[in-house]
Amino acid sequence: MDNNEDILIRFNRLTKKFGNFYAVSNINLEIKRGEIVGFLGPNGAGKTTTMKMMAYLLKPTDGEIWIRNNGKLEKLTLKNRDYLLDNVGFLIEIPAFYSDRTPRQILSYFANLKGYPRKKVKNRVAEVVEMFGLSEWLNKKIKTFSKGMRQKIGICSAIVHDPDIVVLDEPQTGLDPKARKDVREFILKLKQMGRTIFLSSHLLYEISEIADKIAIINQGKLIAFDTLDNLELKASKSVINFELYDTSKYDLADLLVRLNKIIIPLTGIEGDSTNKVGFNENSKIFEVPFNGVPKNQLKIHKALFKNNFDVLEFSVPKANLLESLFIDLIDDSSKKIKSDENEIIIRGN
Amino acid sequence: MSKELIQEQLELEEIIMEKQEIGIKRYLTQITDTINFEFKRTGKTFIIMLIVYFAIFSLNLLIYELQEAAGVELPEETINYIEGYFGFFGLLIIISTATFGGSIIAEDFQKQTGNLLFPKISKSRLLIGRVISRYALNAILIIFYYILVAIITNYKYGELPDTLIDSMGWALFYTFMLFTFVIFMSSINKSKSAAIIVSILLFLIGFNIIEMVLMVTRTGIEPLFIPTYYENIIEASLDMPDPRFEEANFGPHGDDVKFKRWLTPSTSGAFIGMSLFSVLLLIAAFFFYKRRQSKNE
Repeated sequence: MDNNEDILIRFNRLTKKFGNFYAVSNINLEIKRGEIVGFLGPNGAGKTTTMKMMAYLLKPTDGEIWIRNNGKLEKLTLKNRDYLLDNVGFLIEIPAFYSDRTPRQILSYFANLKGYPRKKVKNRVAEVVEMFGLSEWLNKKIKTFSKGMRQKIGICSAIVHDPDIVVLDEPQTGLDPKARKDVREFILKLKQMGRTIFLSSHLLYEISEIADKIAIINQGKLIAFDTLDNLELKASKSVINFELYDTSKYDLADLLVRLNKIIIPLTGIEGDSTNKVGFNENSKIFEVPFNGVPKNQLKIHKALFKNNFDVLEFSVPKANLLESLFIDLIDDSSKKIKSDENEIIIRGN
Repeated sequence: MSKELIQEQLELEEIIMEKQEIGIKRYLTQITDTINFEFKRTGKTFIIMLIVYFAIFSLNLLIYELQEAAGVELPEETINYIEGYFGFFGLLIIISTATFGGSIIAEDFQKQTGNLLFPKISKSRLLIGRVISRYALNAILIIFYYILVAIITNYKYGELPDTLIDSMGWALFYTFMLFTFVIFMSSINKSKSAAIIVSILLFLIGFNIIEMVLMVTRTGIEPLFIPTYYENIIEASLDMPDPRFEEANFGPHGDDVKFKRWLTPSTSGAFIGMSLFSVLLLIAAFFFYKRRQSKNE
């Protein structure tokens, strides 16, 4: 089974059933060393259930979870969970603290629980808190902390025992933009330190900014797992945003007709009713669907300049792309699951 | 390789080696770490309870002192003097036990603190650590009260009955049994307040009503199935009554109707009964705790 030294986590036919309901169904997934894998899915898709199975808080109905520790990839069982999970740090769901305790007390307790060398615990706690710039809060009671600060301490609690793998379930939910940015930067810092991160989120922008690979789950089934670029190529669908200098000098209807005439033949998409240039009145941004191929992107870019448009900005925003891919994939998979169910009912009849 | 790099590498290897210590050693260190953490968490509650115990002791002492000042002589026997300090002792045990035990399970579900604790520690280790630490604090309160009683009795009478130690032993055992009952309540109630209130109501009212019903219906059954009945042995063990029940005439029916009232369980009955209660309640609490965990997740 252990044929790739880089694999740190492997889900093999991972399944969890509650009664007759499949919360997670036959998931196969491999996460390699140093990767950030974003785990996406609508509410109730099975993200948290998957993470809880990994934490051995839920026992899989079928299938296996393999985790690497000390160079060896081993199947997670009741017997070796202490040993294997020592190499994993978890932050599952919203963390809540004993509010009359300080970060030092709580993090020291957690580091001790996970077997971190006792004489080094004090320094380690100070080190992880420092990573988030919360050193001056180390000895203050958590009841005085903001939501963002609590979430950061929650992430500190996941890494205080210095694991190779960090599993974060919705770490940025409910945070203000500044705190979200801090968490995002911190996750990237962890990656730079060689950590492997498995991260679920509803915030597509956050995932698109940091994830090397995206895993999309819907109704318990893994419907996509690849890099964002590869998903884009597979879907043959992406979006270009561009802004023109002083759009007020144009008649908007005429301008859109002209842009459509120039750009649409270059998008690489045929026979699609959505294949036309759009304009956002508020942001003054034009949106062009295209097939995601860089060559087409370049052709559109050149065509705009060739036709003397004053292009201020031209980009392919990953967040929009991910959102569009996510919605398409979820819709497709939901339709497929429904048609499979109908087929079963018809066969049954 | 530079000196610093070698040092860093050595430290990393040391961390990995030390981290490998799992199995029974990890099991025990997690329990001791939990005990230490819980001592710190419940320290403030402990100090408050210590003050309450001291206040109740002082109140009993004050009553004796006022009686003495009014010319009423102190009881002739030391045992009778000591019994005077047990008036509110049962209530004290109930309050401190409910306070320390009510949050033991319910709190992590109510406050969602379980999201951080698990899977860093298993449910069983966390529960064992908490039970030990909180019971230890409860036990210290009981011993503290007995020490105060012993000091003042020795001061007043110049002697102490041997049975005082027996009484303290029963008090500690009874406290543990009540504690397991509160833990059970904590495992089935949504909040720690509910666990505390329901436990106190059952101890003070619910079980007493059952005991009264048994007495009034004149079944003659010894209420060994009522947890609070075992409280009687704490005082009775100072001077075990024989027989262990009394027959009294009271109520609207007049003198011809006799009611049998059980005064205390026997030592063997108390030992077996409280052991059974403790074991069964702990098992039930753990079962609900485990079940609740899965349900919640």
